[in-house]
Amino acid sequence: MTAAAQTAPRQRRPVVLLRPVPGRTPIHDLWAGTKLLVVFGISVLLTFYPGWVPIGAVGALVLTAAWMAHIPRGALPSIPRWLWILLAFGGLTAALGGGSPVVHLGSVVVGFGGLLNFLRITALSVVLLGLGGMVSWTTNVAEIAPAVATLGRPLRLVRIPVDEWAVALALALRAFPMLIDEFRVLYATRRLRPRQVPRGRRARRRRWAAEVIDTLTAAITVALRRADEMGDAITARGGTGQISAVPSRPKWADWVTLAIVIAVCAAAVANEVLVGPTIH
Amino acid sequence: MTGGATRGSLRPSELAQASVMAALSAATAIIAVVVPFAAGLSLLGTVPMGMLAYRYRIRVLIAATVAGGLIAFLVAGMGGLMTVVHCAYIGGLTGIVKRRGRGTLTVIIAALCAGVAVGALSVASLAVLSRLRNLIFDSLTANVDGIAAVLARIPHLQIAADRLKHIFADALHYWPLVIGGSSVLSVVVITLIGWWALSRVLRRLFVIPDVHQLETPVDVGSVAPVPVRLRDVRFRYPTAHHDALGPLTLTLQPGEHLAVTGANGSGKTTLMLILAGREPTAGVVDRPGAVGLGKIGGTAVIMQHPESQVLGTRVADDVVWGLPPGEHPDVGRLLEEVGLDGLAERETGGLSGGELQRLAVAAALAREPSLLVADEVTSMVDQQGRDALLGVLSRLRERHRMALVHITHYNNEADSADRTINLTGNGSADNTDMVDIVAPPRPSVACGGAMGRPVLQLKGVGHEYASGTPWAATALRDISFTVHEGDGVLIHGGNGSGKSTLAWIMAGLTVPTTGTCLLDGRPAAEQVGAVAISFQASRLQLMRNRVDREVASAAGFSPHDRPRVAAALARVGLESALAGRRIDQLSGGQMRRVVLAGLLARAPRALILDEPLAGLDAASQRGLLRLLEDLRRRAGLTVVVISHDFAGLEELCPRTLHLSGGVLRPAVATAGGMT
Repeated sequence: MTAAAQTAPRQRRPVVLLRPVPGRTPIHDLWAGTKLLVVFGISVLLTFYPGWVPIGAVGALVLTAAWMAHIPRGALPSIPRWLWILLAFGGLTAALGGGSPVVHLGSVVVGFGGLLNFLRITALSVVLLGLGGMVSWTTNVAEIAPAVATLGRPLRLVRIPVDEWAVALALALRAFPMLIDEFRVLYATRRLRPRQVPRGRRARRRRWAAEVIDTLTAAITVALRRADEMGDAITARGGTGQISAVPSRPKWADWVTLAIVIAVCAAAVANEVLVGPTIH
Repeated sequence: MTGGATRGSLRPSELAQASVMAALSAATAIIAVVVPFAAGLSLLGTVPMGMLAYRYRIRVLIAATVAGGLIAFLVAGMGGLMTVVHCAYIGGLTGIVKRRGRGTLTVIIAALCAGVAVGALSVASLAVLSRLRNLIFDSLTANVDGIAAVLARIPHLQIAADRLKHIFADALHYWPLVIGGSSVLSVVVITLIGWWALSRVLRRLFVIPDVHQLETPVDVGSVAPVPVRLRDVRFRYPTAHHDALGPLTLTLQPGEHLAVTGANGSGKTTLMLILAGREPTAGVVDRPGAVGLGKIGGTAVIMQHPESQVLGTRVADDVVWGLPPGEHPDVGRLLEEVGLDGLAERETGGLSGGELQRLAVAAALAREPSLLVADEVTSMVDQQGRDALLGVLSRLRERHRMALVHITHYNNEADSADRTINLTGNGSADNTDMVDIVAPPRPSVACGGAMGRPVLQLKGVGHEYASGTPWAATALRDISFTVHEGDGVLIHGGNGSGKSTLAWIMAGLTVPTTGTCLLDGRPAAEQVGAVAISFQASRLQLMRNRVDREVASAAGFSPHDRPRVAAALARVGLESALAGRRIDQLSGGQMRRVVLAGLLARAPRALILDEPLAGLDAASQRGLLRLLEDLRRRAGLTVVVISHDFAGLEELCPRTLHLSGGVLRPAVATAGGMT
């Protein structure tokens, strides 16, 4: 471990996708369908009412859920420096933009309107990202497709092939990590090659285009092979049928969760509509 | 290529294509949203969707859009979802135009119409979402005002500041026009780029062989695949010049264990296809009932590639995958039978090749098949996994009354069968000899003396993935060894031993989290390309469409430099006539050699080979080994082989290092068993 201190620079924490934080908590145990409904519902709510009160309410919900699910700070990826710089630039220009509300600090008049708007839009993005992160951090990938099949059951009445979509989703989630691995190899292959920089802008552009097509063709060739083999595997199983060994349906904890979320959202909306939108 | 005439629910091949292309599209969309400055990548997400629309009916495209969109939504939120939807919309448009055989003009007109539709939709949604619109506009106005305020302080820029404010205010005033117009413009531009890329890719993909083999047999009557009688059965593939199988006469009784041996090209896999319900081109196949591929009491097939036949993300889900609703086998007992007890909740992504194959056996058993066909199931599995898998197969008959056909190219795997038939092929067989499994050599300590200069020096190398997160996983711990000039080192280890990570570190592609990996005294990561690495999947490493272009690109010289291309090919024992061949027309062994040709032409300091023999038949394996031995001995090439196998490697690699659980084990490994 001492060697680590000497040699390795401080590592960035990577973005880890579609893998739950280890552990079993009430949030982990919620039905995946509930989480999807909550995220979808809240996304709709915030697009219609992006006021401070709804943002704050949802933020509180996310933090509570993260606390209950024992999400450590390490689960968050490192924020790259350019993003901080971008935020600082946006904040600064927005602050200089002024606007109401105006505060008199002695003889100086400062308008906070611009900054508040900028902060609100930033908070909105953060809350939405956190919401998505909560699903990704607490849900086993295998539970998603069966939940979609259950949620979409009413659509079967209007002859929408929901089950087919759920199977496609399950298989796509299965293929996803394999494709990511293959992309890694493709990227490594590119890095290993000598850089050829042709002279002239035209030649360079043509080189660039050829490279894009080559990479794309390699990726698609691999995907096509993968798909052919997967098709064989499905045929060998006698076609589609069950996709999960355990039934996928809500339990009482899910109804409680939904009730809480609906109550919070309703209160926030009522506040927006009746009391009037936040400072404007 | 499948036509678009079919109706009804998706067939297996359509479903698989939709899923894989959905994953591909979602991956590009997510990278475009999450990785900074990669937004341009989303332009390429249109191509997989375009492929689907070109090759299949619209129903496939819709299923792929839903699946891809949901994945992107889960990872990257609304932005990801919208990116996939746009890719599907635009890709579908170009794909359909392409399929109808229309040209660029049609695409432009279609793109204009589509752009107007998208523009109208965005304007309408922004009109409805008035609060969000006001927030975004106010925030942007504040930013612009702030910039203008700063500019106004600078002398001579007063006018510019005023103009900036005015232009922006005007743009906001006429926002429906601005947003609608930019939508039309961007849709047209993206469509044209997508059209260009799709056309180029399709032209290149024209020769891609369709490797799919199984077809759902037409079942009439009740399922009863055994006893099966083959009389003078022959099979010829549509474009082939001679029979791939036969004439073959064979009877298989219920409960019988039959081993089928033969070299590559002798028709082993074709026999599997016949047993799985393909109609032979000549002769008679006589069964009491239907084949019932994958049906309860029917025929089950286990194939070669461990990864691609597992369909569930969780072990228990994979066992029941595809069973008709209402059928609930005892998953725990099935897993216990194949030695995977207690792993029901595990994710299939973390299983080794051997475990995956045993899982495939469990999934087959869940269907209580009367006939189980295992087609070269051990060829991509390490020694340990092979033993466990063979053990499971040989014990099957104790509990089940099923006929077992075990197809293999390993002689000793046929021993436990009641009967063995040896297919000899029809002259199309590449070679007639079989592979024997070799016992692992004892790990040898570097014998001093005639050692060259050190090339690669690893000192206390350790690597941890996702450090600092809850998912941190240690792949390597405290690895120290030195590779000298002209050395031949085998790094041997099973699945998950960290050997691939080690290979990436030695090639400089991965920076180890602890310790150092030095190449000629400098960190390897600063000299990417100086150490050549040949990955297991050769096809991924071949980026150009033709052999000469590929070799030239990998080596860094002009493809027109014929003598150099020919010399590079000659070095790996390929004729210069191959230079004009398309990559996708090469065999597996040739692909590997072309990769080597490109790598060696750069005169690398060392050559790392990751599982160089995987997926090659016996003759190609031997030829490749002889070539590498020759290069090492005559040209002094430094070779590091990463493998789970030993067969025939002792000549090439006199030195063996055992890697297990991320640590180098000096312990002596005895034949067959490792811990």
